[in-house]
Amino acid sequence: MADQATFEDDVTEFLPQLYSAALRMTRNPADAEDILQEALLKAYRGYHTFHAGTNLRAWLYRILTNTFINRYRRKTRRPAEVELGELEDLYLFQRMGEDGPGGAVRSAEDEALESIVDDDIKTALESLPENFRIPVLLADVEGFSYKEIAEIMDTPIGTVMSRLHRGRKALQKALWEFAEQRGIAGP
Amino acid sequence: MNCHEAHAQLYTFIDGETTAIRRLRIRWHLHRCPPCGDGFRFEERLKARVRQICRDEMPPELANRLMTFIREHDSDGSVG
Ligand SMILES: [Zn+2]
Repeated sequence: MADQATFEDDVTEFLPQLYSAALRMTRNPADAEDILQEALLKAYRGYHTFHAGTNLRAWLYRILTNTFINRYRRKTRRPAEVELGELEDLYLFQRMGEDGPGGAVRSAEDEALESIVDDDIKTALESLPENFRIPVLLADVEGFSYKEIAEIMDTPIGTVMSRLHRGRKALQKALWEFAEQRGIAGP
Repeated sequence: MNCHEAHAQLYTFIDGETTAIRRLRIRWHLHRCPPCGDGFRFEERLKARVRQICRDEMPPELANRLMTFIREHDSDGSVG
């Protein structure tokens, strides 16, 4: 059991990353602050149920994720589960290889990746449907293992893997579209 | 292992979620097959780039504001 008296000391180090994750979930600073505040209060009130010495970071992300999902579903009344079509393996690599500058994959590989604009990466991640965005966020940005993500999302590990894999491909598709719009890539 | 089998394990490989034996077999394929080697390297770099870009700074005063909020709502459900 964890002691409420140490809550502040225990969670402070995780606040910056929780805020950043909240921002990627909600896509704007005011809502990010809002869900983080609500999640922290829930965490504080439920802190006696947390087993000290277990994975505090994952526990906090679980509360944040649930808070976001509950809010979001209430707010938009949009079906949260969206399906994505199947995309080929190595989607972006193949596109940039075929159509990238000069068509020389090996030498252009680094350049191609460098040519992707920072803001496009954020926008592409935020453009993913929620059920794909969260696993990609938790794996790629937050560095959680499949098992941890399954626990955070309360979802079977096989579902996490399939959403993560399809979400990453959808992210690549969005990046390719942005690159084409910017005239960086493409014929 | 052929290219198709390697592709099927792309993400478990770059996420470090595969067994040591499978890792070795994938590595061996990547070593012998330059297109797959380049493709896997591209995916690893893209993942690193996403991680690097998608972290935002927290506003400096936010941590204090959040903790003040918690203290004000201490113990019961009332707004303090
Ligand atoms: Zn191959």
